[in-house]
Amino acid sequence: MFTKKKILAFLAACAVFLVIDLWMFSVLRGSYQKTVLQDKKELIVALARSAPAEAAGMDPWLTEVQKAYPGLRLLHIQGIPGIAQVQAASLDSELKSLWSARQGAVSFQTGIEAASYLEVFVAPEAVRLGQGKFLLVFAPVLNKEGDTAVGIVVAAVDESVLTSFIHLTYSLSMIAFLVFALGFGIPTFSRDPLTGYAILVLFAIVLTFVAYPLFEALRLTFVHEGRFSFAIWKEILTNKQYLSALAGSVKLGTLTATLSTVVGFLFAFFVARTSLGGKKLVTALATLPVISPPFSLTLSIILLFGNNGLITKRLLGLEHFSIYGLGGLGLVQTLSMFPIAFLTMAGVLEAIDSTLEDASLDLNASRWQTFTRVTLPLAAPGILSSWLLVFTNSLADFANPLLLSGSFRVLSVESYIEVTGMNRLGNGAALSILLLLPTLTAFFVQRAWVAKKSFVVVTGKPSGRFSDLASKPMRLFLLAFVVLASVFIVSLYGTIVAGCFVKNWGIDYTFTTANIVEALQRGKAAMISTVTLAGIATPIAGFLAMIGAVLLVRKRFPGKRLLEALMMTPFAVPGTLIGISYILAFNKPPLLLVGTGAILVICYVIRELPVGLEGGVATLRQIDPSIEEAAADLGADQATVFRTVILPLIRPAFISSMSYTFVRSMTAVSAIIFLISARWYHITIQIYNFSENIRFGLASVLATALIIIVLAVFGLMRVLVKQSEHLEKTVTVQ
Amino acid sequence: MEKRSVPVQLEKVTKIFRDPKTKSDVYAVRDAQLEIESGELVTLLGPSGCGKTTMLRMIGGFELPTRGRIRIGGEDVTYLPPNARATATVFQSYGLFPHLDVFDNVAYGLRVRRVPKAEMATRVMEALGLVGLAELARRAPGRLSGGQQQRVALARCLVVRPKVLLLDEPLSNLDALLREQMRVEIRRIQKALGITAIYVTHDRVEAMSLSDRVVVMKAGVVRQVGPPSVIYERPDCKFVAGFVGKVAFFPVAVLAEQVQGAVACSLAGRRVLAGSMAPGVAVGAKAFLMARPESLRLGDPGDGACDGTVATNVYLGSSVECFVATEYGEILVQIDDPSESRLRPEGSKVSITFDETRVRLLPEGEE
Ligand SMILES: Nc1ncnc2c1ncn2[C@@H]1O[C@H](COP(=O)(O)OP(=O)(O)OP(=O)(O)O)[C@@H](O)[C@H]1O
Ligand SMILES: [Mg+2]
Repeated sequence: MFTKKKILAFLAACAVFLVIDLWMFSVLRGSYQKTVLQDKKELIVALARSAPAEAAGMDPWLTEVQKAYPGLRLLHIQGIPGIAQVQAASLDSELKSLWSARQGAVSFQTGIEAASYLEVFVAPEAVRLGQGKFLLVFAPVLNKEGDTAVGIVVAAVDESVLTSFIHLTYSLSMIAFLVFALGFGIPTFSRDPLTGYAILVLFAIVLTFVAYPLFEALRLTFVHEGRFSFAIWKEILTNKQYLSALAGSVKLGTLTATLSTVVGFLFAFFVARTSLGGKKLVTALATLPVISPPFSLTLSIILLFGNNGLITKRLLGLEHFSIYGLGGLGLVQTLSMFPIAFLTMAGVLEAIDSTLEDASLDLNASRWQTFTRVTLPLAAPGILSSWLLVFTNSLADFANPLLLSGSFRVLSVESYIEVTGMNRLGNGAALSILLLLPTLTAFFVQRAWVAKKSFVVVTGKPSGRFSDLASKPMRLFLLAFVVLASVFIVSLYGTIVAGCFVKNWGIDYTFTTANIVEALQRGKAAMISTVTLAGIATPIAGFLAMIGAVLLVRKRFPGKRLLEALMMTPFAVPGTLIGISYILAFNKPPLLLVGTGAILVICYVIRELPVGLEGGVATLRQIDPSIEEAAADLGADQATVFRTVILPLIRPAFISSMSYTFVRSMTAVSAIIFLISARWYHITIQIYNFSENIRFGLASVLATALIIIVLAVFGLMRVLVKQSEHLEKTVTVQ
Repeated sequence: MEKRSVPVQLEKVTKIFRDPKTKSDVYAVRDAQLEIESGELVTLLGPSGCGKTTMLRMIGGFELPTRGRIRIGGEDVTYLPPNARATATVFQSYGLFPHLDVFDNVAYGLRVRRVPKAEMATRVMEALGLVGLAELARRAPGRLSGGQQQRVALARCLVVRPKVLLLDEPLSNLDALLREQMRVEIRRIQKALGITAIYVTHDRVEAMSLSDRVVVMKAGVVRQVGPPSVIYERPDCKFVAGFVGKVAFFPVAVLAEQVQGAVACSLAGRRVLAGSMAPGVAVGAKAFLMARPESLRLGDPGDGACDGTVATNVYLGSSVECFVATEYGEILVQIDDPSESRLRPEGSKVSITFDETRVRLLPEGEE
């Protein structure tokens, strides 16, 4: 509601605030400058007092001062120019050449004159010396009696001491103004200020914790020695080591995606298109790897097939077999990612109208012909999209390659090594950005091609009836495959549990409970900090996701698309990139967060927000908006409507978003490995450390504990969501 | 319940939607000027998409007018959010809270107003009694019939004692019989409470039988406002005449003569009289003569204003609808109290006579 009166009042208030704001800023700047310069001046005057009167003592004195104040750049001038013979001495060649070049300049003249009157002088303009800008301070060197100047000390004081502080206060005062303008403007002009504030807060959050760090990471890759340059990218794209990591990632991604799609399709066909029993059990088993903590499958693969593996060493006695590398990685990734393909394709296969297959059979096509000519083409877009989904997941995967890659290189681990091992942040950032490219490509291919080609016919008919396309041997094969794969998965988890109770896996298989005691004792602190931080992040992420969903579905406001894109971005960004960008952005003022628990909480919230948001949006779309309008109409304000109507109605989405956040935060690795500190450690990193130190027993205990927690949380979620299922039914009755 | 009602005024209210695809403006409501008196039941009537819902939603505060002001009880409420207005809306889809039972649905408005528990309970039961649902207070709304849900929605509005009741096609989800019952009930309750009510419908029978005044809209524009009888008998344009009932139009030239309040005009050379004249009809110019089926009679060829042949007789019991083919198209003549003598067999030549007090001249031009 922009009425003239309101706009005038608003502008007047803004102007008053701006004047006060700028006045305070200039006062702060002035007084800071004064005190800092005063400090420096006093120091330099004191130094000038201590300077020797004779030229002979000069060099030792300069060396001594240099030692005491390493940052200070000094030039000593013996004698006053224009009065006596002059001799300049300095350890700093740049300063010396500046002196010989600019001796006659006005500021130098003034400085010399001031010194000859025994005054201290600061040149008003900064000069360039090498990289930075410096302020020149002239101070007199006195004779023994202290009444005449016999020389001058010229000191170059780094200007950035002043400017960085001034920049900081300046940006803070601008932020204060912005906050004032928005905080005052929203209730003035909006008839729904709460929504305005919610939008503002969400924007502030995503700009600060999504856009800003990613921008910082990108910026760093274009900076070399303080300047814009392509040096880092040149190195990344030419260095053999990096290129082999890129090739490795793509190879591994292709292998995993292909294997997962094949396995996933067989599972999906079994569940969606055959009349064989045990589907519920198979579905539950197949989804287990999705929610199980990182390192757990890798761990059991190492226990079974590693250098001291139960199968490879003990049973088969293989000597030169190595699970580390592409093969082992492909196996573990397939095990942990085929469920994604399975779930995607089961949905697609279930949606295919089976009357099309019936029609084909009716036209005397054989079952195989029907499968290859009807079913497969109809499912093709779904198959492709599940391939892409697994591919991007494989690229972003960090935990499995970290333990199992051996000498095989992949991008995610490479960027981690660059950052933590080599301290080359720029290279690490560039590598993880490289990781984003295939992901983005896959995303756009998905959107452009799959979306267009999607001719799955969704009839909404109960898909209870379908003709069995699989012949008897085929069905036997499917059954055998699914049973064997399921048994394998179960035995992997069994291995982890067994690992808890074995004294020294691979060498001494005697039963013991010592591992449990030791692991729980050593992992206690990490466990507590992990649970605490995940627990803090959970409700925050849940509420933000639901509020975001309400804004996106129900409200119209400028910048909605941008807000949505920014909130969804972390979904596509690999964890390593988020981790690296966070240490880049939040290791300096004004947001010095690295090392605190807060940065971990923020990281959890930001990374899990997209999934909760999607869930909330999907649920909210099914709810008749007139329900909320009725509540507002009956006198409820926005907050009351949210609390008493929206939240109860989207409760299933709210609960699952929270449990998802909790579980994912408990099992995070890739981003948080950069962000943890001694005080705020993470249980998964503890598992990693135990495995690296060949303490598989301890690692098994912690992994088992995590699995139990995760299963418990999901169980709890199912109970809670079930309770509100009657509610969902009545929503759709409307 | 005490009587309290206020007038509602719309001043030059315009609502423009922006079509996101074509980037063009859609005038959902254009310069609507409306004075609704207190205690009145006004229906907004018009074809689908003419802006009735949009108008109602602006009064309720769910949409903001692009231009213009809205006053409720003299107070400018244009920018007030719904929760700050003394209106209550019965939504087409009812909008019942699925997670609350009937009692809590009705109590919702009182809860957010922090009405004391005891008073709340009596008021809720009173409102439920008013709509005849007292014994279903603890049902979940999902387990009610459509008509019952509709009553809950009404009770939920009434319990907060709104000054203006807004209803958006509240009966459109009900079957014909129930619709008639509920219509009577809504009118009874509205009258008993003396509440100002605005009722959206596209059903002309509903509008005619229910309202004190009818607002006929077309393409966002208010075409005519008046009591049902005026809208029916003395419409101002062809659109209103056609929308509220069956009607025939004859192109005539208006003659300068006035005969005892009636206007003389010529229909293809024959002189006919029209009892009234809508604004915009000019003497000497062309116009349309509108005639309702019940204001036409059959006579022998050459007697009346226009000749034709009986095409079909449709027997309806209390009346017969006789379709006569003429040079102006097929004209419907209603024959009340039909007996053999009054009926003309199909195929016989007849002429049509006007009941001149009931036919009316409408301006030519756009519908
Ligand atoms: N949110 C919106 N965005 C864009 N156009 C809209 C929106 N709401 C309504 N319109 C348009 O405004 C016009 C009036 O719509 P409105 O819903 O008021 O019609 P109505 O008279 O209630 O119709 P019906 O009898 O079908 O309910 C229509 O052309 C509609 O397409
Ligand atoms: Mg409508």
